[in-house]
Amino acid sequence: MNDVLVGRALTKRFGQTVALGGVDITVRAGEAVAIMGPSGSGKSTLLHCLAGIMKPDGGEVHLLGRRIDAMGERGRSQLRRTRFGFVFQFGQLLPELPAEENVALPLMLGGVPRVQAVRQAREWFGPLGLRSMETRRPGELSGGQAQRVAIARALVTRPAVVFADEPTGALDQQTGQETMRLLVESTKHNDASLIVVTHDPNVAAWCDRTVEVRDGRLLESGALA
Amino acid sequence: MNLELTWRLLRGGGRGGLLGTWLTLGAVAVATALLLFAVAANSAFQARTERGAWRNPVPAASGAVAVEASRFDFVRDRAITVVDLAALPGRAPAPPPGLPRFPAPGEVWLSPALAGLARDLPAAELAGRYPDPEGVLGDAALVHPGELVAVVGHEPDAPALTAGRTDDWVVARPPVKVASLAGQPGEDAQAYQVLSLIASVLMVVPLLVFGGAAARLTVARRDRRLAALRLVGATPGQIVAMTVAEAVIVALAGALAGAVVFALAVPLLAGIEMQGGPWFTADLFPGPLVLAGGLVAVPLLVGLSAVAGLRRVVVSPLGVAKRETPPAMRFVRVLALLAVLAAFPLLTRGTSVAVIVVALALAFLCVNLAGPWVVGMIGRITAAGARGPARLLAGRRLVDDPRAAWRTVSGVALTGFVAGFLGLLSPSALDGDAAGPLQLRVTAPAGQAERTAELARTRLRDAGVPATVRPVKDVVVAALGSSADPAALDRARTALAGIVPGRTPTTGHDDRRFGTQILADVRVGTIVVLSVSFLVAIASAGITATSSVLDRRQTYGLLRLAGTPLEVLDRARRAETLIPLTVMGGGAILTGAFCAVPFMIGGVSLVGVLTLAGCVVAGFAGVIGAGALSRPLLRSVTTDPAPRPD
Repeated sequence: MNDVLVGRALTKRFGQTVALGGVDITVRAGEAVAIMGPSGSGKSTLLHCLAGIMKPDGGEVHLLGRRIDAMGERGRSQLRRTRFGFVFQFGQLLPELPAEENVALPLMLGGVPRVQAVRQAREWFGPLGLRSMETRRPGELSGGQAQRVAIARALVTRPAVVFADEPTGALDQQTGQETMRLLVESTKHNDASLIVVTHDPNVAAWCDRTVEVRDGRLLESGALA
Repeated sequence: MNLELTWRLLRGGGRGGLLGTWLTLGAVAVATALLLFAVAANSAFQARTERGAWRNPVPAASGAVAVEASRFDFVRDRAITVVDLAALPGRAPAPPPGLPRFPAPGEVWLSPALAGLARDLPAAELAGRYPDPEGVLGDAALVHPGELVAVVGHEPDAPALTAGRTDDWVVARPPVKVASLAGQPGEDAQAYQVLSLIASVLMVVPLLVFGGAAARLTVARRDRRLAALRLVGATPGQIVAMTVAEAVIVALAGALAGAVVFALAVPLLAGIEMQGGPWFTADLFPGPLVLAGGLVAVPLLVGLSAVAGLRRVVVSPLGVAKRETPPAMRFVRVLALLAVLAAFPLLTRGTSVAVIVVALALAFLCVNLAGPWVVGMIGRITAAGARGPARLLAGRRLVDDPRAAWRTVSGVALTGFVAGFLGLLSPSALDGDAAGPLQLRVTAPAGQAERTAELARTRLRDAGVPATVRPVKDVVVAALGSSADPAALDRARTALAGIVPGRTPTTGHDDRRFGTQILADVRVGTIVVLSVSFLVAIASAGITATSSVLDRRQTYGLLRLAGTPLEVLDRARRAETLIPLTVMGGGAILTGAFCAVPFMIGGVSLVGVLTLAGCVVAGFAGVIGAGALSRPLLRSVTTDPAPRPD
């Protein structure tokens, strides 16, 4: 498998607190990686550095061989919009847009005409079990349905990597499992890699391997499947 | 306990909470300052009415002490109010306002401005009409600073007080015996009071909407927290008490700040010229009772609005947790407006001012009901036709919360039509024969037209004013040469002064002075109301934009993290305000201007066009600027790398 995303010797400090103390991580094409760790361990900081949301103080991040941590905000923003997809815990859907337009938004931001963007967006609703939910607004969806809309939105631009930060944190156990199944299957089906930040072993179990972050360091990594 | 908890909630709201509190405070301050201005405008016109009442004599049923008459004279296109007074034999009437004593026969008292003008202009142009003034009138005699007034004392049987005068109040008031100089409100002053009342309604309706919205803004920010309190067992009564207490505390502070802002602005406001002059500063201060009433009413209104905004939380603790499709604005709102508009001619058929004002207020309230429906329609059309994400977001936001956008544009939409209509009209529209030869006309006593014309010829010749004088029935017409300038006209006026006792020779322009003045003043008033509406729009746009960023900071933050350019979010926020403002405000102004076209006989007023255009450009720029002020806040909340819910 090819290396898609590589982080080398990543360091990040917030004042006196060391969030990342020299982390090396490699994510391969189509691979699903879970980043686990207790609160404040640095797992979200690692995700933000890998996703180009935050610049690390030291080290390098490469996407498909291209260094991205040295890019300017505009470049990283564009990269996030076109090459990455994001699924957060909640609050990511625009409440006034119907579900299909929430999914179509990243395409429209990339310049795809609205009609085409909405048509492409609708194609995701069937596979994700959201048929007939296209015109519903986020407030009219259940938590699980909203997360599936978010998954569709993360994948609609055919990204290289999908980042998920506690994607099931606001869902019950059963809905969380179903959401993870859809997330992992959809990303693999689209040849995208998946990085999931979680503290739930049940969520991590859906991934190909798990890495654990503790006090800003990667303790070990192991293939689960 | 509730108050203590409320105070803690207020102080411990975090950066966002505190900013929300400041926003509410600012909104209430702006609303209070403008509300006081709207109220003060009425009391100011009332004060002017009272100031000028002594010149409008009330015939005495018994106990007459004096004879009083008044008329208008003119100099350099400005009106001079001339009051002729005579004490009846054996009577010692109280002096009129602003005079130390009742004027003796032959005495002339001039207002400071008229005295100054009489000094500055050659005697043949003005001072000759009011020779050897005895003294200067005090402010109490004047309607406004800079007013031109002359008080002339006579014997009671002097021709000026015995000869017949026209009873057309626009020109003069015939001599009557009076028991005192208390007088009565003049017809022109009453007309201005009605207009100011209408202007106030125009300003107050959007202000109330805006002020009420400010209260809901606090609640909107706090409803999650209050819903949490409700979940842990707080009773609806406790929730209501805490909310009202919080809203009222903030509103009281805002109202006080608004009162201070108003007080500081009074000297500036006093410079707005109406009825030919600026204002006495004291007249612009509403009475202490009105002020206290405002300071009580505003927090009360904000408290009530807060309760209305809280209804959802109290009804169901989960009411605010879910965000559902807002129910579509009902078409019945438009039907209500149509019904009131249909009934409007019937309602206003009565001549009672109160009925007209109530009907007008009702119409405005119905426009306010229908406004959000129209905004929602605009939102639907915008969203349906959007190709890019910014317009789509803006359109959907308008559909989602049309009331928020309406709050911003309502004032401009309400005033826009009148501003557009009057802004372009030239006061000379009333001056049909302005281009004709310059003529002074005076009505001679019956059968004396020939003799008066002869006298006029002699006087004008002696004054060196070339003129052709001829009698037309009872009217003596002195046609000045086409080269006559304002100085020559004033020399002619001075030469002809007193040629017919109690009557002033006037030009056609002089005779139409009231109409021209009131049109010019209504235009000034409209621009003032439009400016206030734009101020409300600017404040509302700023507050809506900031609160929208605060309320949606998590979503905006996550969108930004996912790579959404800040510019798209900004463009969407800008379009959210500008689209309805352009369609409704701009549409109203253009419609008004279009409707004014048939009345533009006198030509378009360039000054009017420029003033209106300046006001609109400044207003739109202000609205864009106010929205842009929240851009740093948007940047700040969206650069937070780990946005978390409140």
